[in-house]
Amino acid sequence: MSIAVTTRTLDNGLDVIVHEDHHAPLVAVNVWYHVGSKNERPGRTGFAHLFEHLMFEGSAHQLRGFFEPLQEVGASLNGSTSSDRTNYWEVVPTSAASLALWMESDRMGWLLPAVTEARFQTQRDVVLNERRQNYENRPYGLAQFHISAALYPPDHPYHWPTIGDPDDLRAATLDDVHAFFKQFYHPGNASLAVAGDVRTDAVLAEIETHFGAIPAGPPVDAIVAPAARSTPVQLVQEDRVELSRIYLAWPSAALFTAGDAELDLVADILGNGRSSRLYKRLIHDERIAAELGATQSSRELTGVFQVVASAAPGHTLDEIAAIVHDEIRLFAEEGPTPEEVQRGRVHAEAAFTRRLETLGGFGGKADQLNAYNIHRGRPDWFDADLARYLRADAGALADATGRWLAGTPRVALSVVPTGRPGLALTDSEPVRGAV
Amino acid sequence: MTRTAPPVGPPTAVRFPDIARRTLDNGLRVWVIEQVRVPTATAVLLVDRGSAADPVHLPGLAGAAVDLLDEGAGSRKAIELAGAFGDLGTELVSEVGPDVSWLSFSSLARVFGEALALLADVVARPHLYEADFRRVIELRSHQLQQRSRSAGMAADRTLVGAMFSGHPYGHGTLGTSRALGAMRADDARAFWTESVGPAAATLVIAGDVRASAAFDMAAGTFGGWRAPGSQPFAVPELRSAGEPAVLFVARPGAAQSEVRVGHIGPPRKVDDFHGLLVLDAILGGQFTSRINRNLREAKGLTYGARTSFGFRRAGGSFVCDASVQSDRTAEAVSEILREFAEIRRPGSVVDAELERARASLSRGYVRNFETASQYARAAVQLATYDLDDRTFDRFVPSVEAVGPADVERLAVEHIRPDEAVIVVVGDPAQRPLLEGLGRPVSVVTPEF
Repeated sequence: MSIAVTTRTLDNGLDVIVHEDHHAPLVAVNVWYHVGSKNERPGRTGFAHLFEHLMFEGSAHQLRGFFEPLQEVGASLNGSTSSDRTNYWEVVPTSAASLALWMESDRMGWLLPAVTEARFQTQRDVVLNERRQNYENRPYGLAQFHISAALYPPDHPYHWPTIGDPDDLRAATLDDVHAFFKQFYHPGNASLAVAGDVRTDAVLAEIETHFGAIPAGPPVDAIVAPAARSTPVQLVQEDRVELSRIYLAWPSAALFTAGDAELDLVADILGNGRSSRLYKRLIHDERIAAELGATQSSRELTGVFQVVASAAPGHTLDEIAAIVHDEIRLFAEEGPTPEEVQRGRVHAEAAFTRRLETLGGFGGKADQLNAYNIHRGRPDWFDADLARYLRADAGALADATGRWLAGTPRVALSVVPTGRPGLALTDSEPVRGAV
Repeated sequence: MTRTAPPVGPPTAVRFPDIARRTLDNGLRVWVIEQVRVPTATAVLLVDRGSAADPVHLPGLAGAAVDLLDEGAGSRKAIELAGAFGDLGTELVSEVGPDVSWLSFSSLARVFGEALALLADVVARPHLYEADFRRVIELRSHQLQQRSRSAGMAADRTLVGAMFSGHPYGHGTLGTSRALGAMRADDARAFWTESVGPAAATLVIAGDVRASAAFDMAAGTFGGWRAPGSQPFAVPELRSAGEPAVLFVARPGAAQSEVRVGHIGPPRKVDDFHGLLVLDAILGGQFTSRINRNLREAKGLTYGARTSFGFRRAGGSFVCDASVQSDRTAEAVSEILREFAEIRRPGSVVDAELERARASLSRGYVRNFETASQYARAAVQLATYDLDDRTFDRFVPSVEAVGPADVERLAVEHIRPDEAVIVVVGDPAQRPLLEGLGRPVSVVTPEF
């Protein structure tokens, strides 16, 4: 299995990756800018994401906005911002591939003339409403903010959430937009992937025409992050929720580094799906949890391993935490069974195979090519990525568990119904401040 | 050098692949779509019963019964069954809709037959034991409790209950805590074994599997499914529930209000299906539609607002939903109603706007046919709504044929602001401001 690619770097520094797939008359265009909320500074948090919104408001030669010209040719399109990167994509019928490429080139090179004060103000209001909708007005919606704030010191780029602080968003100015564009939105800090029903030579020539004239920009400094918190803390947050929930978080391996794939497999064995160990014990056998999950979320600078579980009525978060710790300790000592290792491998093979089925959108082939290019400098890293999962044996999974998850979690956050802080893990302190 | 946008070629025609069909001796229909792209395949077992088939006193029974199926089947107990799917690198997904229910999985092609055998166990040989039933009911009660705190789910539940009041569409898959408490394992057993059977089911297989091999696998795994069920089942025709209303659900301190404005609508098999999609695309079905443009891009009072026709077998709905800034709730509702009224005005839709909506739908249609699971879902649509095999091929020309007179007629017929149920879940301070809409406002609490 692999995704065959042709790569080229334009004179202005833009990485271009082309993958032909003529199965359907569709083309996926995908652009990553290697900038996210990690590149923000305290006091201006949320800016990378606000900027992403402005990228859809039009550019110098397409002033009526980004959506309309593409929707009317049958495109599906979107973008997203994380702490590490910002991505933009279109999936179009083959007949509209040139237009999609041209549109991306226009906003990469000529965005600013279209960004007016009025559009800027409106998008700031939209983002404030996005924050209210997806976080403030959603049960457990602020939990991850509290975990990051406790897990990373204030000068760590993962301390603040990508959606940002409302006051910071209100303080942002149009001048900030210009400065941010010049610093981060240029060809040398971007990667363009095209996948689908294209001819490689023709599309490369077209890309040279559309993107080649965009001037190169200044290099972006690598970020040096301070260490994550070293002492455990237990926090409680009251929220408009029905069931108490515990979040146990450990700092873990960064994206694509040693231990990352292993912990991903450990998360599956421990807490994903009904054949997982924690499901069997907490939900099926002892019936003390209502829902649970485990994840290894790895990012560029560091990762976090989390186990999350909600207590069934009449049961406590202390009971749940004790069993989670027990199962992790056991796993570190004895490792997985041969069946669990085999299941993890088949699961990885199936998941990677399915990833080859979709050209575009979030997680489609074009998006994967850019992810590998930005994070590994190797768009053809698909096989190497899968190999990480296939070679992880029982000993490696036990070792990773012992190395990263031994001892008390660094942050244990209880989210409990408003007015009932006593439902938290014993000896928890209230979270500080509004987030 | 001047920069101008490059031209765009003609729209792409869609031709849906032929479906290979066979009916097993027990009456099960097997449909196969060969799609060799990556070595995976998808199976969907569709049964002709959904939440609209719930007994009046047991809303949520279909959901609970389907949920119970994979808690032990054939020679395997609950956890063993999940493990068996896991060993094949896949998992079983079950969903219950208003009209139909389905169980599906997607797996590597080389283990597809083994996974299909597990699916057949679940469907034809479920244990339906008392202890597993109790656990399923308990977990579903917890889910209901959790949902009761979600503003969006409170809004949806309130709207569905009012809009489809007194009709089998008026409740969701989870039902209510009261009904879950009253349910017995025998109810779930009766539901599955007496009303569902192979003669009222369709097995759709799509992906890297030859039709002949798929038929053999289906016969080998599902051939032994015997059940007395399969009596025809029809949902009564949907009628308007009566008085329009403003229903307010209090959520003290909420940073936003969840807003729904909706009324009943036509079924999937409506003559004007394509015209209605064009109408919806102009009004609220897309990012660039009137309502999102107004509430988000001009006013900035929401992250997004959209409309959709919810087409079902016996009728459906037309609903606008948005989560809006709390202190602009009344303004948002007024604007939605104003947009509903405006599109009914003769001459409201201009040619350029109509052309954009048509082009977006017809040119983008080909995007729906990329993966095996998309093909499987498309076939499920055909089976669910009894549509013919050329349904998808007709989409592009039918959309292109929608004219201004069609849109004008359909707007008057199918967008009815005066009939709409308005639901707001928000801070109580917003309620008095809704009195300005000139409709009675009732404070309600949805039952979860």
